[in-house]
Parts: sequence; structure tokens; C-alpha cells
Amino acid sequence: MAAFEYRQAQEIRDCFQRHDIRYLFIGKSGAILLGFPDTTQDADLFVEKAPENCRALVAALRELGFDLTDAQAAELARGKDFIQLKNGPFDLDLIFAPDGIERFADAWNRRVDIEGFPVCHIDDIIASKAATNRQKDRESLPRLRSFREYLVQQRRTFRS
Amino acid sequence: MDAPEFNEQQVAYKQGASAAIPPDWLAEFEASARRPLEIRFRYAFIHTYKPVLDDEPFRAFETTAEYRRWCEENLPDWLGYGRV
Repeated sequence: MAAFEYRQAQEIRDCFQRHDIRYLFIGKSGAILLGFPDTTQDADLFVEKAPENCRALVAALRELGFDLTDAQAAELARGKDFIQLKNGPFDLDLIFAPDGIERFADAWNRRVDIEGFPVCHIDDIIASKAATNRQKDRESLPRLRSFREYLVQQRRTFRS
Repeated sequence: MDAPEFNEQQVAYKQGASAAIPPDWLAEFEASARRPLEIRFRYAFIHTYKPVLDDEPFRAFETTAEYRRWCEENLPDWLGYGRV
């Protein structure tokens, strides 16, 4: 599997838009969209766990080239909390209930648009990683918090 | 790159007092901000094989807690997926 490419992120964005899917880039891939300089392996998407949204997600993933069996499609449509896909043109983690974020609607209201990509607010990305509290999250949190401070400073400069 | 829209009024910040940004990180943030998104992607996404994690084409977990538990019980420690 090759590394995730910008072109593929665009394909997700455009395909999900056509299918009216409510989702957000989250995790380090979300932070990278916000400008965070770091490396990661694949994209993490926070998807709204609503029946219509999940049904549309199945159709969109098949359109993107994911080879979903009927049983897998049924699991997706039913809305599990966490699904890992490695059966398509790129790897994708679908998260329906991330740690540290109470409701999708709250994160949606705080989302940031980066060139048409819907992205979780940096505070939600940090809250999620802090709540998950894995070793790899612990290592990235100080730098993410500094990046958040950088965004705040940039915003102040931008406004003044 | 303009700073992303920051919905300050809608967010309850959990970070506490602002801390100084280490100079080397600040330089990296500023350099990143000067790069187009497509270039940031090229630098950011790498792929290396992760044992166990990459060995199945599809995994679904009923709850996030179940997924976290599975990671702790099945993945090698050095991948960093274990909770602290």
C-alpha cells in the first residue's frame, strides 16, 4: 500500500460531498490539514453515526474503490464505533465515537474548512488524543498544544 | 496560508494558560504554513508496515473501548497503541 496522497484526499472530499456525508478529518491527519507539520500513515475520519449517513457512506466507499462484502457493508450501515478499512485504494480509519468528543454535532459546529476539507477543530483533536491517552498520543500532545498556541497567535495577528 | 477559522466563542478551551512555543517548533509551524496543502500532504503521509494492524483488510468494533482493548491485547508494545 502506497502512502496516502493529496489526490486521494480530494477524491474523498468530492465523493463524500456528492453523497452528502457528514464527516470530519480527525487525529493527526486532521491536524496536518490544519498545518501541523508531522508525519502519519493514514487518514482518520469522524463520521456521523446516523442511519442515512452510514448508508450513504457505504455507497461512497464503493464508488471510491473499497471492496466491501455485503456483510461488511451491513456493519458499516449499522454504524459500529470503529472500522478499519484496508481493502481499498488507501487505508482509512472510520471513527464514529472518538474518545473525548461527546457528540458529532458539537464537533461539526466547531469544524474548520480547509480548502473544502471539513476538519475537526484543533481543540477537538487535542481533546480526543488526550482522552485516548495512548503512548503515541502522549508523545505528540506537547507539540500539538504548541501548534494550537501558534494558531491562536496567528489568529490574533490576522485580526489586528 | 491564513490561520484557519478559529471558532473561539464555541469552544470551551481546556488548555489553560498559554505556554511559550519552543523556537524550533515555531520555525517548523511557520515553514509548514508557507507550504501549499498538497506539499504538506506529500511530506506528512508515509507508509510503513505495521504488524498485525495491517494484516486484515477489514476490522469493525462495536465500541471504541473494544477497539482500544483489542489494540492493547494484540499489537506489539512498540507501536505505541497501549494506553498509559
